[in-house]
Amino acid sequence: MSSGPSLIRSVKEIPPIDYYTSGHRTCAGCGAALIYRLVTKAAGPNTILIGPTGCMYVANSHQFLTSPYAVPWYHTQLGAGGAAGIGIAAALRALMVKGKRKPEDINIIVFGGDGGFADIGFSGLSMALTYDYPRLLYLLYDNESYANTGIQASSTTPWGATTTFTPSGKVKRIGNERYKKNMALLAAAHPKIKYVATATIYPPLDLMNKVIKALNSGGPSFIHVLTPCPKGWFYAPHETYELARLAVETGMWVLWEYSEGKFKLNYKPRPRKHVKEYLRRQGRFAHLTDEEIDMIDKMVEEEWKYWLESDKLGKIILPW
Amino acid sequence: MSAVRPVPPITIEKPVAKVWTGARAIAEAVKLADVDVIAAYPIRPYTGIMNAIAAMIADGEFQAEIIVADSEHSQFEVVKHAAATGARVFVGSSGVGLMYAYEAMLVTGLGSVPVVGVVGTRALDDPGNFGMEWTDAFTTRYFGWLISWPRDVQEALDMVLVAYRVAEDHRVLQPHFVALDGAALTHVAMPVYPPTKKQVTEFLPPYRPPYRIDPMDGPVTKAQHIAPSLIGPEQRKRIDVAMLKAKEVIIEAWKDYARYVGREYPPFIETKWMDDAEIALLSMGAYMKDIELVVSKLREKGLKIGTVRLRYLRPFPAEELVKVLSGVKAVGVIEFGFSFGSPYRTGPLYHEVATALYEADERPKLLDFLFLGGREPKPEHFIKAAEMVNELAKGKTFEKKAYWLTLRGEDI
Ligand SMILES: Cc1ncc(C[n+]2csc(CCOP(=O)(O)OP(=O)(O)O)c2C)c(N)n1
Ligand code: SF4
Repeated sequence: MSSGPSLIRSVKEIPPIDYYTSGHRTCAGCGAALIYRLVTKAAGPNTILIGPTGCMYVANSHQFLTSPYAVPWYHTQLGAGGAAGIGIAAALRALMVKGKRKPEDINIIVFGGDGGFADIGFSGLSMALTYDYPRLLYLLYDNESYANTGIQASSTTPWGATTTFTPSGKVKRIGNERYKKNMALLAAAHPKIKYVATATIYPPLDLMNKVIKALNSGGPSFIHVLTPCPKGWFYAPHETYELARLAVETGMWVLWEYSEGKFKLNYKPRPRKHVKEYLRRQGRFAHLTDEEIDMIDKMVEEEWKYWLESDKLGKIILPW
Repeated sequence: MSAVRPVPPITIEKPVAKVWTGARAIAEAVKLADVDVIAAYPIRPYTGIMNAIAAMIADGEFQAEIIVADSEHSQFEVVKHAAATGARVFVGSSGVGLMYAYEAMLVTGLGSVPVVGVVGTRALDDPGNFGMEWTDAFTTRYFGWLISWPRDVQEALDMVLVAYRVAEDHRVLQPHFVALDGAALTHVAMPVYPPTKKQVTEFLPPYRPPYRIDPMDGPVTKAQHIAPSLIGPEQRKRIDVAMLKAKEVIIEAWKDYARYVGREYPPFIETKWMDDAEIALLSMGAYMKDIELVVSKLREKGLKIGTVRLRYLRPFPAEELVKVLSGVKAVGVIEFGFSFGSPYRTGPLYHEVATALYEADERPKLLDFLFLGGREPKPEHFIKAAEMVNELAKGKTFEKKAYWLTLRGEDI
């Protein structure tokens, strides 16, 4: 793959066809729904989608037997995303090898939430990343909570965020006191993994091209996508894109990719904006003091030294 | 496939015996069925089956993808998705491993995905125990899986092949497992007559699900979230009807199996000495051999006793059982499962049997014999059970319904 797959160079080149269409009822401004559309456009028609339980299951195919998917789609259990992808990939390989189905390139994208991939389905995801099935993409849409059950903390909820399980109270004021788990680094810890990346809605072409690279990488791949969630983060629905941009520009969300063992930053904020520009726009952090926000900014500053160093070396160094 | 294909009269090849353990025999059945995807996770006693399959694949004896999963949950989800994509699959587990897979098993049943597997029944933790109990398999009765229970290694092999045929039939399309009594079946070797590849190919048509999760079949959306007001009960009814239809499909399949392979079985219930029996011992699985031995001896002594062996737990052959047991005075249920705090502190097989017999015009009296905690029953326990059932028939009143005959100390 020396020449690489053909990427989308400008917005004008984005395919006009949608494979994630009307018929879903996510919240207005739902970041995860926005990326579903971009990701499926990038993947094209020869794609199978798997939806572990979560907002992208319940809100996408809810109630009136409507389906927003113009490609095959199958619900899978909350903790079964990893196994689901492997089952389908194994079936396609076996059927093709044994001459029971015509050989063809088929993409499999498992579209799992942070609860689904970082918590309950973590073991299955990790199992999947040790196999060698091509065109098998595990895409984590990270709204930083168990959103569908009414916004509960997961292991990717950031420090200081309030959720219904980690409210800010009179005695326990901070809210969530655990630090966000870095799922892309964990994915990269699987030897011989072909492609790992982080992304968000901003910039959209970055996300779409990462999907194309992942699917063409020759093995299972993982993309961790930050998807702002107006309901869980407490902001106005029209600000979703803006928040994704601020997450990147404040350095709180680091855009990187790890391809065939080589690490690369895709965006270096220069100068990096103070994290308050991102955090103060969200109700879930409203209880934090200026000092606490500063503390978060210092942590981010410290981490960035390692991200830049990793970029220079082309190798991953743990940023803490 | 739906209807039975018309076939010319066939000459059945002379079978050649192999001495195989249950584990090896099942592996051979998987190979004969040309399974495409297998998922494995270790737990005794079923592990030997996967060991045997893995060795066959490694040696190129047959081609399949074998996935070594990270848990039973993943294991059962792997095959569910593979089967939904159009692959014939095989899976299995035992004891707490099966318990770990329950969510995945449940959605396989309620999602009508015809996965086939085995359960090597095993006592549940805590405390850890390599002995045999049935509660792992029995607790899946609600999941929409067909469940059959062979008596020996030969029948286990045959049942796996028939399971594929029944599960994949479009009138059924439900998952199916064969329950092998742990150790007593999985690890015991006996002469087995495997069918030939040709016989199996004729008996078992290729797996063709109506809608695959494959772009070739168009944009199928499967298992979307629904409004109960729209298709809630109707979706459940499909499975209820599939189980009903399964009964006719099972009868057809065993008839066809006999035709192609030359070995006959009664589809649902095997009885011995029941023509004039006044009392009976009823059970399933591998211990039937010991029970039948005991009963044959008691027959020699003039006791009018017979045996009843259920071959299927789901669908449960209730009408057939009523026919067999109507007029019998007393029946002893021999079982290895528990349901603590249940009616009369009886076991789950007793509940099934009692429910079925409630509809009989002449209901036999029942006693339950529970063999729990993995301690093996001996012939003397079955003799004791037969004696108690005989006393029950003669009018003795028992203060309890369930007796723990292998228990040391007082059976309170
Ligand atoms: C085994 C299991 N436990 C709990 C639930 C309840 N549940 C439904 S959706 C959901 C939230 C999943 O969170 P996440 O994966 O982060 O996706 P999101 O809802 O945020 O889109 C939970 C916990 C479930 N469906 N299955
Ligand atoms: S709760 Fe958040 S993730 Fe879920 S549908 Fe609404 S905006 Fe999207």
